[in-house]
Amino acid sequence: MDSKKLLLSILFLAGLPGTCLAGGNSIAFVDSVKGEATILNEAQSVSAVANMKMFAGDTVRTGANGTVGLIFNDDTVVAIGPESEMKVEDFLFDPAEGELSFVAKMIKGTFSFITGQIAKLAPEKVHLETPEATLGVRGTKFAVEIE
Amino acid sequence: MVRNSRAPYIVAALMAPLVLGLGGCGRTTTVVLLPEKDDRTGAVTVSTEAGTVEIERVREATVVSSRSSPPSPPTELSSREIEAVFGEVIKALPEKPIHFILHFEFGTTDLTADSAARLSKVLAAIERRDSEFVSVVGHTDTAGDSRYNRRLARQRAETVSRLLVNKGVPTEHIQSTSHGESNPLVETGDNIRELRNRRVEVVVR
Repeated sequence: MDSKKLLLSILFLAGLPGTCLAGGNSIAFVDSVKGEATILNEAQSVSAVANMKMFAGDTVRTGANGTVGLIFNDDTVVAIGPESEMKVEDFLFDPAEGELSFVAKMIKGTFSFITGQIAKLAPEKVHLETPEATLGVRGTKFAVEIE
Repeated sequence: MVRNSRAPYIVAALMAPLVLGLGGCGRTTTVVLLPEKDDRTGAVTVSTEAGTVEIERVREATVVSSRSSPPSPPTELSSREIEAVFGEVIKALPEKPIHFILHFEFGTTDLTADSAARLSKVLAAIERRDSEFVSVVGHTDTAGDSRYNRRLARQRAETVSRLLVNKGVPTEHIQSTSHGESNPLVETGDNIRELRNRRVEVVVR
């Protein structure tokens, strides 16, 4: 716990790499990380650490022993297994304005999901792609492997 | 040979993907529905240019080998097969965010007695999860005009935020917003007093 807090303080002093990846509102955060994992966009690539914010357009990539747990603003939780890659293309969660969208592309590896409020309020706004298929979801827990 | 003693295991390991339908050349996508805590299961539809398959039972899976061929008919996997492929990524799933609903007396930013007592549960959840992402969303019922209600809902959210901060939650971990009367829990007509809609929702992530 202390080392996590220390690491976070260092990152904070280093200029919050997680929060300056992109402008606009964050859409998710890193709940947990094991092993090697990076978050990247067009501008840069940073090692994933707990409580780092994510933005639409970010890609998560893990190494051979890496896993990442993400919590999105609409309560969707996602885990990304070792040797995996996923890009969040679009994410909007503003139920008061009726703006809902969750579009992600899984490129390789293993993934598990528990869907959140977007899948409940507007399942047609959830599009999950793999190289071979398109997934639609209705409030549920599931896993995906791309091999 | 010594090495041969492991051969059956290696064969078994190589067979596993074939059993799951993951074998063959080229890439495949496998999608499997997982059991949930409360046994409530939704469904996943898996589509290619050639067709769509819906999986809706726990441990049902479908396999796709290309965009131009239809997904396989649903087949049920054993718990052991799921564990072999997905065990690690299932273990890495974060706990779902927890929602709390706190109610208010009519036209005020005063928590009802029940809700004031529930605040300790909110604090316990923040502490247990070591959460740095707490959202506090204020709502009103439809009594009164919408501009007044947007302000009242914001004041309710600020009241709850302040109570949490007073108990030691860092301000920067709380995101406070107002939905006014536009996002009721229970649909009513305009100008209706409804306790269930006079609320602040706290989400602990």
